[in-house]
Amino acid sequence: MDLGTVLSVILLAPLVAAGLIWILARQRAALAMTLSLGAAATILCLSLWLFFAGWDGSAFEISTEWLTLGSLTLDVGFLLNDLSALMLFIVAFVGFWIHLFSVGYMNDDKARGRFFGGLSIFMFSMLGIVLANNLFMMFIFWELVGFSSYMLIGHYLDTDEAAQASKKAFIVNRVGDFGFLIGIIITYWTFGTVNFNELREVVGTQPQLVTTLMGLLLFCGVLGKSAQMPLHVWLPDAMAGPTPISALIHAATMVAAGVYFLGRSFFLFTEEALHIVAWVGVVTAVSAALWAFAQRDIKKILAYSTLSQLGYMVAGFGLGSLYGLHHGDAHNALYYGIGASMFHLTTHAFFKALLFLGSGSVIHACHHEQDIFKMGGLWKKMPLTTLTFAAGVIAIAGVPFIAAGFFSKDAILYVAMKSSQPAFYLLTGTALLTALYMGRLFFIAFLGKPNSASAEHAHESPWTIVLPLLVLAVFSIGGGYMIMYPVTLQEVMGHWVPHPHGKDHTTMIIISAVASIIGLVLARIIYGAGAATDKVEKTLPPVFAISRSRFYFDEIYGYYVKKVQDRLADVVAFLDTLFISGVLVRGSAAVAGLLGVTARRLHTGSVSTYVWWFFAGLVLFGAYAGGFFDGIIQ
Amino acid sequence: MIIGLEHYFFVSVLLFAIGFFGVLLRKNTLVVFMCLELMLSASILALIAFSRYHTTPGQGLMEGNIFVLFIIAIAACEVAVGLSIIVALWRRNQTVELSEINELKH
Repeated sequence: MDLGTVLSVILLAPLVAAGLIWILARQRAALAMTLSLGAAATILCLSLWLFFAGWDGSAFEISTEWLTLGSLTLDVGFLLNDLSALMLFIVAFVGFWIHLFSVGYMNDDKARGRFFGGLSIFMFSMLGIVLANNLFMMFIFWELVGFSSYMLIGHYLDTDEAAQASKKAFIVNRVGDFGFLIGIIITYWTFGTVNFNELREVVGTQPQLVTTLMGLLLFCGVLGKSAQMPLHVWLPDAMAGPTPISALIHAATMVAAGVYFLGRSFFLFTEEALHIVAWVGVVTAVSAALWAFAQRDIKKILAYSTLSQLGYMVAGFGLGSLYGLHHGDAHNALYYGIGASMFHLTTHAFFKALLFLGSGSVIHACHHEQDIFKMGGLWKKMPLTTLTFAAGVIAIAGVPFIAAGFFSKDAILYVAMKSSQPAFYLLTGTALLTALYMGRLFFIAFLGKPNSASAEHAHESPWTIVLPLLVLAVFSIGGGYMIMYPVTLQEVMGHWVPHPHGKDHTTMIIISAVASIIGLVLARIIYGAGAATDKVEKTLPPVFAISRSRFYFDEIYGYYVKKVQDRLADVVAFLDTLFISGVLVRGSAAVAGLLGVTARRLHTGSVSTYVWWFFAGLVLFGAYAGGFFDGIIQ
Repeated sequence: MIIGLEHYFFVSVLLFAIGFFGVLLRKNTLVVFMCLELMLSASILALIAFSRYHTTPGQGLMEGNIFVLFIIAIAACEVAVGLSIIVALWRRNQTVELSEINELKH
């Protein structure tokens, strides 16, 4: 088999599955499940075959012309290199286990056909982003994941919350994608191509063509898709969707697409653009970590933690690339940004998918109870879920050496220390906060005694739910070690990730260890095991209020939409009523009506009148034949 | 007095005018129909007069007359059709007044 065929099969398998579900299995849940899971398994098997046998690790590109519009040619094609192979591995691997989890989690859902169809459409769109060899193709699939996300957030379509959240996610993403599209157009206009490899060659010979504006416009797409400040507002609300969706789309893969895109087009970012990218990431990371403390809903806490970790990745890309520009003398210095962000993206995909699936297992067992203060004592009822969730908490907190998050966070903190001291302090603070709020979640929900009847009656979930948890737990713990990855993927993970050496190495380990362990211990001291109320809310109301305010982003947007946008819409609606429906539509109807009324008047039914008209016609005809009108009509 | 072309022409125009205004002004279908026939007769008269006065000497003199015979034959057919329509109108509506025959409008 040649690579092009294999990649096409990988891309099209979920589309075929979704099509078959649409035609055959909208009402047949078992068939829909089999088709969707089958597609996910096909993707995983073919990807693993690629990494272990079919692909030698060198960049592979195949492209075909799709559409020609004048001088503009749109291509579709695949570009398989170190970066996209790693992303393909994440999507295929995490995607498969989440599909399996969904089979158990959604077993009592009434619209499983629609759910699994949507899941397959999402896999298709996401793989399109991963494999795309040019910006236009990426943009098409970028919009398709937005659509899938919209469809799956709104899965529980009879609840108002889900309907609102899906609309919000879609609209906020449109804002970002608008900038993204303009960025793509500017890129095409400047370089005459949107192919990643060709772009890179042009940039290599004429680096002066790259402008800061171009990078920032492209970054707008990342703001929307990866939920960076100030377009982060949709992600917490998106938790209204089913939990497997939160795990797959809003934690592991789709929201990481923005970071992946940064890596794909890193050469289009100037130093100024990189500074802004880095600071957007840092601010998002810190703020989202602060907001997580006021949340009671287990999924909301994880959502804010996702925001914070995405901020980490974006900051890692910016700071890592800056570090590469200024300090890097090694061969791979250019790739430090990609290495730092993609390493964290990978480990985050494992442990955040694990945490979300763990929370799904808990929610499933507690009969859809999501408030952590009504849980408590789950470790006795659900030992495996508790154990794997603990692994996830350790991983995200970054406990040294036994957690994947430690290594990846370490790389980001290291480049931060080398390129910007303030960013370094803020990110270290975030690491501490992360350990603190994850400790809060874990200690309150899993330890102590049950705080409600639903937690009392919880029981361990079926194997389809527990098996994905176990597998992901293994990767969350071991994901920091190269041995967990196929050899062909180790270029990014091994050589591109910046590592501290000598004295820096020791310093970094001490800082990370102190931040994570202090965070977890503080959480245990402050919140206690299985607490039924929030201690901070009671004892320190001002601090809690700041966290709960979420810096009033939603309120400001609400105010803006209500006061500015709605009024603008009113004006436009008025103009529409006046000109389009008034003058154009009703006006033309009135003209036709008037003509009709006049013509009807001629139709009297009286023969004598008709003879008069006939006579008038005859006179006119005679006059014309006699040349009377020659002077008037030339 | 020598009767020339202009006298025929004058009679023809007079007949045509009577027929024309009859069609325009009279309300009885039968009279309108008669007026129509009058207009036809006027044009036949004009045709035969022109034919008689513009004949080339030495050639046939009767082309116009033959034509007129054809026209009269066809006009007779036309009258038969027209009268039968009027009879049918009467049977249907019990009137042949034009002002009352306005079914096309409704």
